[in-house]
Amino acid sequence: MRNKIMKAKALIAIVCIAAFASAVCAQQGGTAGQNPTSTKGAVVKGKAPVNKNLLTVKLPKEQEATLKNGLHVVLLESNHMLPIFSMEMVVISGGFSDPADMRGLANMTALLMREGTAKHNSRELGEALDTIGASFGANSGVSSFTSNITASGLTDNLDQILDLYAEIIRTPKYPTEEVERYKSRTLDSQPQLRANPGFLAQERLAQAIYGTHPASLTFAPPEAIKKITAADLMRFHDQNYVPNNATLYIAGDVTLKQMMPKLEKLFGDWKQGDVKQPTLPPVPAQAETKIHLINRPGSVQTVFQIGSLSLERTSPDYVAMRVMNQILGTGPPSRLFLNIREDKGYTYSVGSTFNALRYPGLFTAQSPVRTDVTEGTIREFMNEFKRIRDEKVTPAELDNAKHAIIGNFALSLENPTGRLNNIIQQKMYGLPANYWDTYPQKVQAITAEDVQRVAQKYVDINHMQIVAVGDASKTRAVLAKFGSVQEYDGDGKPVRTASAGGQ
Amino acid sequence: MRLHKIFLGAALLFALAGSALAQASKNPHVDLKETRLANGLRIVTVEDHNAPVIAVNVTYNVGSRNEKRGRTGFAHLFEHMMFQGSENVGKSEHFILVLNNGGNMNGTTNEDRTNYFEALPANQLELALFLEADRMRSLAVTQENLDNQRNAVQEERRIGLDNAAYGKSGEIQQELMYDNFAYKHDTIGSMDDLNAASVADVQAFFKMYYAPNNAVLTVVGDFKTADALATIRKYFDAIARQPDPPAVDMTEPEQTAERRKSVDDVLARAARVAIAYKTVPGNTADFYALQVLGNILGSGGSSRLNQKLTREKELVTNANSAAQETRGVGGFYVTATPRRGVKTEDVEAAVYEEIARLQKEPIADWELQKAKSGARRNFINGLQSSLSRANTIGQYSVYYGDPNLINTRLDKVMAVTKEDVQRVANKYLVATNRTVVITVPKAPAGRTVGGQQ
Repeated sequence: MRNKIMKAKALIAIVCIAAFASAVCAQQGGTAGQNPTSTKGAVVKGKAPVNKNLLTVKLPKEQEATLKNGLHVVLLESNHMLPIFSMEMVVISGGFSDPADMRGLANMTALLMREGTAKHNSRELGEALDTIGASFGANSGVSSFTSNITASGLTDNLDQILDLYAEIIRTPKYPTEEVERYKSRTLDSQPQLRANPGFLAQERLAQAIYGTHPASLTFAPPEAIKKITAADLMRFHDQNYVPNNATLYIAGDVTLKQMMPKLEKLFGDWKQGDVKQPTLPPVPAQAETKIHLINRPGSVQTVFQIGSLSLERTSPDYVAMRVMNQILGTGPPSRLFLNIREDKGYTYSVGSTFNALRYPGLFTAQSPVRTDVTEGTIREFMNEFKRIRDEKVTPAELDNAKHAIIGNFALSLENPTGRLNNIIQQKMYGLPANYWDTYPQKVQAITAEDVQRVAQKYVDINHMQIVAVGDASKTRAVLAKFGSVQEYDGDGKPVRTASAGGQ
Repeated sequence: MRLHKIFLGAALLFALAGSALAQASKNPHVDLKETRLANGLRIVTVEDHNAPVIAVNVTYNVGSRNEKRGRTGFAHLFEHMMFQGSENVGKSEHFILVLNNGGNMNGTTNEDRTNYFEALPANQLELALFLEADRMRSLAVTQENLDNQRNAVQEERRIGLDNAAYGKSGEIQQELMYDNFAYKHDTIGSMDDLNAASVADVQAFFKMYYAPNNAVLTVVGDFKTADALATIRKYFDAIARQPDPPAVDMTEPEQTAERRKSVDDVLARAARVAIAYKTVPGNTADFYALQVLGNILGSGGSSRLNQKLTREKELVTNANSAAQETRGVGGFYVTATPRRGVKTEDVEAAVYEEIARLQKEPIADWELQKAKSGARRNFINGLQSSLSRANTIGQYSVYYGDPNLINTRLDKVMAVTKEDVQRVANKYLVATNRTVVITVPKAPAGRTVGGQQ
């Protein structure tokens, strides 16, 4: 099948952001990339006409209300130019609320919610939503604190979409027949997942970092899926999907005044409940650097995911980490891209990311490379990790990274859904109410010393877990030069004992 | 054929913009202005003060359909070279300037066109126009940069085809289904042909296709049209016109018998059935009817393939269908993944049974409504960002010479009737017009997992 999708990242705008109205600009007017310089993979001539003035934007402000039963509502109006809206209910129970022998219960509870309600069967619900061009989705990660139920569509169909949304959230029936169908289909489709090297790498990396911690799971284990029954789903739903354990976020061509009577009617008599919040054990001490080789016979590439433990969302290091990762591995101007793709030509795609959660997330660098440059790639990754730890970033790099982050941040604000996601994050992690209003200033305050400090802390080369998915017969010898290698088969099972490393 | 782009990027929603979207009628309208420079460059501007954003798209009338035997993959490799520097812009400087000024950019190549686009804060319009004009005027090519980008493109091919389950099946289906070389090869090209590409090829291709008279420049966003046009003239006026490139022969002989192939795949872990029917060019009445048909047969949870094959008969883990829009003869594609223990023959038969039903009986009212609602939703979503509008206008301008299709297209979908859907099902989805590729998972010979060192 051919794609016709335009993929593109976020947009726009060098900005200062202030609460609601008048913008306060705390940035200096530095000009990104204007000094004629040469770096690996790039030549900057500095002749292009860059406007040095910074644009300012006004942040739209959310409105809030709470129903008597505790259902909290957060609404962000669009500029009302286009007749569209979207909603997301965040239920504060997810995969981490699963019983230990049923990891996947919250996931299935969310996924199967639309397979039948008190009033409609699965087919009728699908037809009703599709006929009006509405989207509906529900999911909960196996390693997650929340279940998220989304819907979107045209405001012409606002009432119909709201009715179906409330019906599905409040009265799912989990018909046994549908549950059994889902289970057998899902178990049958697992081989397809395992054909994907990215899936195999992600699964292994989470296990290498989190060990026996609940966060080590990336998908529901087959034995749990087999065990879960319709009654288990119903029970999980009834215990956790209660108004005092949820917030409804809405964005688009709607107003709070218009929505509240509708929400009162649809959710007003939803009964409260007592919800037990899970407690997670601490993340285990990190093991020494090790190579995890997943054998994928016939592979013509080695797919790398290299990771270490990052930080919690509320960590004071968060913004510095964001700047550090911008310089190291975010997008084409980053060091990893300019070196490994534009200078060495080893790959099409390379970069690094990190996630920050209620517990420490992962810092991950990734790239798929042709098999014969497996050794060169791992060496360059390690060189870049060392460089960002051992040397201060240059003033130009720091300045460019700040510009890019602030611009990108501002851009996401122009889309009500993007802005709403920032609000969700602020509320989920209990960040200060003015967190996003002052975000540009926080970014601007980061120094080269801050960047080096967080690199030394979280780009943890002594505890780096190197996952490589590829043809083991062609890669095990070169990988062994970088440390001890543990090999796995495509089902994720260890197939050999670790051998001692070379260098 | 696949879409290839210079950078891998995550798809995100764009900024909500659109003061050019009048709310008078139920459907928003994009108010566009067309201009042409003396050197032949076509310009479309859409002034919109709703957000402090500008988007620039340059679409060149060249794609993999223009490639010659022995040089497959060249249009896309060339697209990568457009980021390797020009007279006043260094290697990689283009994307460094755009991204470090808070913007967003990419370049993409498909069978029918190549486009380049960026969105930036509104005060960087001149930067965007300068960057596009400099490379249209004075692309600089070196052997070193060509070798480097050849490596990146070959890696892109490995990710999508050679190292992906079912990757080769798609390429094989395309080669089998088309007779005319224009579409008979994947846009990514073969490894051998990519290796053969030379600096001289790049220069000749640039001269022939990257001329102002072979491109459309679309600018959307927060500017005054007169100012934007003045800046456009400042940078683009002096670029020399070239002789028009030769027209591409897109004639595709009628297919008279089913074509079929079985492909062994060491990377796949489940079989797959892929069926393609040759259809018609895009923006025709039959194309819009086929699009509706593709939606009803195999798009989304309420589609017939999902309801019958996935849920009711439990033959497949997933199945879908879609009509592909191309300037030449397009394709209608059905893909299904059999469940463990289910024969591909049985899956194929079940697909044909659903197609036969569409040929014999009219679709339901709600199904037609569903396809039209989905089209309206997609249309409105596509207006959200200035960049998405610029890209769409650029594509319609080069494909059909009609930038205003962004405003009239939805009406064409709305005009599709139940009879149209039944008619195109009977006309195109017939056995003699199909190309079937069955992927068979196969363990690599002579390898044992976890064997001796």
